[in-house]
Amino acid sequence: MDGLASRRGEVMRSASEGGRGRVGASLWVSLLLAILGFLVVYPILMLLLGALTDTNPVVDGIQLSHLSVTNFLTVLANPNVAEALANTLIACGGGTLIAVAVGLLFSWIVVRTNTPFKAVIAAASILPLFAPPLVAGVAWAILGSPKTGLINTVFKWAGLDWRVDFYSMWGLVFVFGIYYAPYVYMFTSSALRNMDPSLEEAAEISGASAFATLFTVTFPLIMPAIVSGMLLSFIVMLGIYGIPAVLGAPTNLSVLTTYIFKLTNWSPPLYNTAAAVAIILMVVTGLLVFLQHKVLSGRSYTTVAGKAFRPRSLDLGRWRWFTFGLGIVYLLIVVVLPSLALIVAAFRKFMFIRDVSSLFDARQYSLMHFQSIFDNPLTMRSIYNSVEVGIITAVVGGALAFAIGYTIHRTQVTGRRWIDVISTLPVAIPGLVVGVAYLWAWIGVPGGLYGTIWILALAFIARFMPDTVKSLSTSFLQIHRELEEAAWVCGKGVLGTIRTIVLPLARPGVMASMTLLFVLAIRELGSSLFLYTSNTMVMSVLLLDYYEGGNLGKTAAFSLVQTVLLGVLIGGANYLSRGAAQGSVARTG
Amino acid sequence: MTGRILTNIVAAAGIVGLALTYGASAQAQEFGSPELIAAAKAEGKLVFYTANFAEVEQQVIKAFNKRFPEIKVEMVRAPGGQLITRVKTEAAAGKLIADVVDHSDRALMQPMADMFQDYAPPNAADYNPDAQIAPQLWPRATLVWSIAYNTELVKNPPKTWMDLTKPEYNKLTGQVIAPSGGTTWTRVMFERQVLGEDYWAKQAATRPVLYPSGAPMSDSLVRGEIAMGPLLYNAIYPKQKDGAPIQIFFPPEGAPVNPYATGIPKTAAHPNAAKLFLNWCLSKEGQTFMIKELGNLTSLKVPPAFPEGFDPKVVKVWFPKFDDYVKLHTAWVAEWNKTYGYAQ
Repeated sequence: MDGLASRRGEVMRSASEGGRGRVGASLWVSLLLAILGFLVVYPILMLLLGALTDTNPVVDGIQLSHLSVTNFLTVLANPNVAEALANTLIACGGGTLIAVAVGLLFSWIVVRTNTPFKAVIAAASILPLFAPPLVAGVAWAILGSPKTGLINTVFKWAGLDWRVDFYSMWGLVFVFGIYYAPYVYMFTSSALRNMDPSLEEAAEISGASAFATLFTVTFPLIMPAIVSGMLLSFIVMLGIYGIPAVLGAPTNLSVLTTYIFKLTNWSPPLYNTAAAVAIILMVVTGLLVFLQHKVLSGRSYTTVAGKAFRPRSLDLGRWRWFTFGLGIVYLLIVVVLPSLALIVAAFRKFMFIRDVSSLFDARQYSLMHFQSIFDNPLTMRSIYNSVEVGIITAVVGGALAFAIGYTIHRTQVTGRRWIDVISTLPVAIPGLVVGVAYLWAWIGVPGGLYGTIWILALAFIARFMPDTVKSLSTSFLQIHRELEEAAWVCGKGVLGTIRTIVLPLARPGVMASMTLLFVLAIRELGSSLFLYTSNTMVMSVLLLDYYEGGNLGKTAAFSLVQTVLLGVLIGGANYLSRGAAQGSVARTG
Repeated sequence: MTGRILTNIVAAAGIVGLALTYGASAQAQEFGSPELIAAAKAEGKLVFYTANFAEVEQQVIKAFNKRFPEIKVEMVRAPGGQLITRVKTEAAAGKLIADVVDHSDRALMQPMADMFQDYAPPNAADYNPDAQIAPQLWPRATLVWSIAYNTELVKNPPKTWMDLTKPEYNKLTGQVIAPSGGTTWTRVMFERQVLGEDYWAKQAATRPVLYPSGAPMSDSLVRGEIAMGPLLYNAIYPKQKDGAPIQIFFPPEGAPVNPYATGIPKTAAHPNAAKLFLNWCLSKEGQTFMIKELGNLTSLKVPPAFPEGFDPKVVKVWFPKFDDYVKLHTAWVAEWNKTYGYAQ
């Protein structure tokens, strides 16, 4: 990034714009820092204040005299916190191992082999990302409960003496692993695609077997991508509430997120303790983010050279049907089985299933849960609100992330490192607690932010800023500086260059990031819980309401509605962004 | 001739019409003065914060809207702890949106009583004064505990609270955790004060499955994840009514009862609509609806009805002493957690 060309460009630009440019640049940086201060720093300070005092900063006022580490130390000394922390590390560690194995396997199958119907496997590898964690948890509870699970019912019917129990650490690890494998897949598949195959060819010419080549050349070469995907999936698992809430509750298995949720739910609620537990979670996450930076910054992706090449496709012979079979099994586990479970639960009057024949008893099925959820006026309102907040978040958050990403990656302005660091911070804060921090921080903002859809959108923009900035950064890195420099030479200003060069070229990436932001905003539960009001109920909160209201049928029915809606919206956005991509290719080509 | 008959018919119809109008307005008087009703209709809406289950309260709102369709009720539902934090934070920031706050934990509501305006329903005198903890707060809902079991799984059902300690029911029972809120705290107090100091230990020895609240437990009971356990009658009754394989009974040792605390904040933006809504909920009509359709009890001195299976001659209702309710909470919940191995 700091190559000669970029420095030359900077010098040229500085020379042409002179002092006016410098004033403009520092104003711009101050503006970005002010926005980040409001969105990120201020709520985090409120959270720290909550963790280090025993007061509610809004009710009792900000009382620095009460500041002490007692609250924090009490939390550290609590054996239940230690247990929750240990459970968290085991569940996320185990889940990450499975995610890496699954994600790496499928990225290799899709990118590097001649397995038939690769497109289907590629789609299956990404699909779990769209399932809200609570929905995934509910689906696997229906399938894997030790007493009433459909899997056990089928085993019993088949006369098999096998039993599965997903209400356990193993169940949690398994579900975490298969649902967060897409993060590893996304990183490793693009690395494999961009890798020059000549190194592998060299290994094979030297007599190494295909298998040996894979482990001695291919995987070591994409190690940064593997580590990135691994750390990211670990970090995401750390912050998930829905899956451990459903699978861990029956056996009283707590992880940090469910523990934090419990603390806020008890009567009386223990928010300050929750804030302190959240700090622990933040420290663990922060360490991992730091580690990720270390791993990535020390390396360069030198396998991506300027020379054109096609990724090599390995001829697996008859084995390609085996890899195809693996893909189908994965599809079955992450998509087909959970969807079937949800469909059964959504259409069945009661989930008491004595045996397999009762499962196929048509009299047990009806539309009553769907009628009941659409009879509730909150259902339609929550759908409308979620889409609205999703669009606001995607557009405003996308624009902000573009501004931040451009400033970090394409300029040399002073202060951009700070912008980078601050915009990454929210990755480390669990949503459940950040919700109350946003409430504490923003309720007093004049102009009536509280009670509107905007407070939710701002929370989502802040919370998902790291994801959006990171996913946009890749598109900036792909555009060569020469193109911008050419525009400058032709006399375009910074804004003109962005409008005519950067934006059109980065458009597919921007659309993809905005779609991601939209999906994340619609799924987000934790930070919504404290910010929604009667007028601004969103789908994720209503889904939790149905779940907590103890009606599995309605929960499943609403999950299906949400999944179908997300599918339609993402399909639409994909169609649009593909159009955009083709459009930009046409213009540049 | 025909003309006279017609006039008579018209006159008679007029009288009948007048009588009908009068009857309706007399009935409406039960819910408030014509001025209040007019003012409430002019406001057109109210915001209702509740700790009760959203689904249950949707039905209450629907029934209220049958009587007063002009008034829209917007609901925010949150579990007890979250609701209190939200109300306190909003109030401190001067942004309390609620026109009615409805909470199951009276101990959490009592210190906030000053936040609420003076209010009493038209039938205030009919209410049992013991169910009230402050003059501004009223027992809009009164919930009662029962024991329920899955009839497909239990052939030899329990008949008393003590039966839930039987070793034959090992790992078959479920329990809602003591720190979950006011209603469960009432049951836990009842168990220790009425069934004996060692009741928790004996019951915990059967290794029950623990649930964060009554709703997921009632769902687990229907699915057969557990076979039996104590549940708020209103959490399980609607499922039985819909045809789930469930049997519910009120054990002879007593039925713990928890009245809610509900009030109108001083800052309410729609105070008249809020009053009318509470007046209706607390009226005989509102309470009868909640008893018959939702499975609540009532804190009216003379109950207008009883839920199915509740024989007032047999079932002894048990109200907690409010003093104990406040004072014993922290220590006893901590002990309960320890006995049941619940990590807090």
